[in-house]
Amino acid sequence: MGDAGWSVGRLAERGHHMSNPLFNKVLVANRGEIACRIMRTLSQMGISTVAIYHAAETKARHVQMADKAVEIYGETPVAAHLDMGQIIEIARNLEVDAIHPGYGFLSENANFAAAVADAGMTFIGPDAETIALMGDKISARNFAEKHNVAVAPSVMPTDDLDDFIEKAAGIGYPLLIKAAAGGGGKGMSIVREAAALVEAARVASSEALRYFGDGRVYAETYVDHPRHIEVQVLGDGKGGAIHLFERECSVQRRFQKIIEEAPAPNLSAELRDEICTSATRLAAAANYKNAGTVEYILGADGRFFFLEMNTRLQVEHPVTEMITGIDLVRAQIEIAAGKGLPLPQSEVRTSGHAVECRICAENPEQDFMPETGVVRHLGVPEAEWLRFENALTHGQKITADFDPMLAKLVAHGPNRDAAIERSIAALGELALLGVKTNIDYLARLINHDAFRAAELHTGFIAQHRDDLAPKALNETERAQILAAAFLGFRQTRDLIVGTPEPHAAIGGWRN
Amino acid sequence: MGFQLILDGEEHDVAIVRRRPHLVLRIDGIEHEFSEIGGPGDGLHALKSGKHPIDFIRASDNERQIIRLGGRTFEVDHIDPFSEGMESGGNKDAVRSPMPGTVVSIQCKEGDTVVRGTPLVTIESMKLQTVLSAMREGTVAEILRVEGETFEKDAIIVMLEPETEKA
Repeated sequence: MGDAGWSVGRLAERGHHMSNPLFNKVLVANRGEIACRIMRTLSQMGISTVAIYHAAETKARHVQMADKAVEIYGETPVAAHLDMGQIIEIARNLEVDAIHPGYGFLSENANFAAAVADAGMTFIGPDAETIALMGDKISARNFAEKHNVAVAPSVMPTDDLDDFIEKAAGIGYPLLIKAAAGGGGKGMSIVREAAALVEAARVASSEALRYFGDGRVYAETYVDHPRHIEVQVLGDGKGGAIHLFERECSVQRRFQKIIEEAPAPNLSAELRDEICTSATRLAAAANYKNAGTVEYILGADGRFFFLEMNTRLQVEHPVTEMITGIDLVRAQIEIAAGKGLPLPQSEVRTSGHAVECRICAENPEQDFMPETGVVRHLGVPEAEWLRFENALTHGQKITADFDPMLAKLVAHGPNRDAAIERSIAALGELALLGVKTNIDYLARLINHDAFRAAELHTGFIAQHRDDLAPKALNETERAQILAAAFLGFRQTRDLIVGTPEPHAAIGGWRN
Repeated sequence: MGFQLILDGEEHDVAIVRRRPHLVLRIDGIEHEFSEIGGPGDGLHALKSGKHPIDFIRASDNERQIIRLGGRTFEVDHIDPFSEGMESGGNKDAVRSPMPGTVVSIQCKEGDTVVRGTPLVTIESMKLQTVLSAMREGTVAEILRVEGETFEKDAIIVMLEPETEKA
């Protein structure tokens, strides 16, 4: 069977203790595709679901999917989703047993984890101390170093910008500047020359202050042509930890991943083992409880450095699920309920290869700037090897209120080539009209020879920019597109089918 | 002159030549005959010009048709001849925001001399900061937004002095 090893059927099989669910009711403190994905597993486990939504998303899919949905209020939709007090109050009133934070929003907020616990509920994630330890890049780095996980040369953070600039200049270029409390690419930049350092540090610090309420910035040696490799771990909170192998997430734009795959191609068995083992060591040392991801930078010379640990479910978790057959949301819930790890390390197996493409509302021809619009048409390919994780609805407004990621298309195959072919075919069939997206760009990218050859590094998109630009249309294609468009306007349609011949030839387009 | 459409930033002309027995369109001066034109409105349709039908998906959005054909999506806009001209004015001098957002900081002042690439304003959209730079050499004529102000996509943020003729 090989190929179907990960299938949804297998993911569901393990969940037939409906009679006695681990929790009665779980509130999902998130929205969009991830809220839907989490609720899917909760429902399979016989657990009742609660959704939260801002007025801007009353008709959203996660609202329709939940057993109960409660409106949250805030100056902006994002502010509402970050309002801890309000969310905990709702959970209390509804006698919720546990809160699943998803990714983003409050998922890595130690105060929230503590507040949930204080309110007598279970936070589906690590305890507040672990989130705080890993959430701060410096304490995380020191912890990693102490436990024999390699780290890159760096400048310790400070909110004294002048001091920071002086020290950063001292370790040389290129340099990577980051927010000490950051994540998701915010407050990050590469500095290649002394002249650019001051402004880069200023921008990083101001972004850090705005997003994380902590203006401290941090810098480290930048590894050129690095790969981004991360390891999925599960910890039971008592020092027990396993890994579910690694993911390759090197293809990034604006410091954010757009294509992820598992396993990582072109990685020797020894190096894979070394990286995965170091991640398990870190998780075990931290008494880590939950699913987590240990991120590494891997140089062409095989040296790898710890980047950070994400103490939550990752956007790209489906590629790991597809090769291991393990439902990570279920594992999170079981761990949170004190059931321990789903299986011992020796029983973790992988089958085939999986590729995830992040579908974003953005314009790849304009430096991936976010786009807005309305979902006018949605056509989704279906196959047993595909997952289209989304919360899209017809007529939905795509606004600047939330992150531009709209959906994830995940394809599995018996090997990498098959997973790539299936991804290309599925991207071609995927129709999302009404907002500019990166769908066609992603299809070109994974069809590129260098991607197929797995010549991956975080500068892939910049390196192949010209190749990845859309091919010019030939005359026939252009005529077909123009005709298809022409036939869509009511005024032209009326002329073609409605009016007598002579008038059509005259024109008179405007009434 | 027929119906003016814009595809990939270029203007195209489409006119009906004949409707029977088959529809013939003149597209940029070349006649194309269509034995099938598909149904009206949005959704999956097929065109037939020559031997093979071509499937496409169409969605309309006011004066825009979005076409997915051959695994690619295209936006085709109709130029309304009565409102044309409104948009073309000031294009060469206006620094527009490519996305909706907020002004974070302003790095220039009126009267500043700039070169191509000079940072003018830092904006923020969807949690990302982006620097808007001068697209050509010139002088800053006017800054239309203040720090903290929000704006829509394509809003003019900074105007440069119109280019003067040089010898």
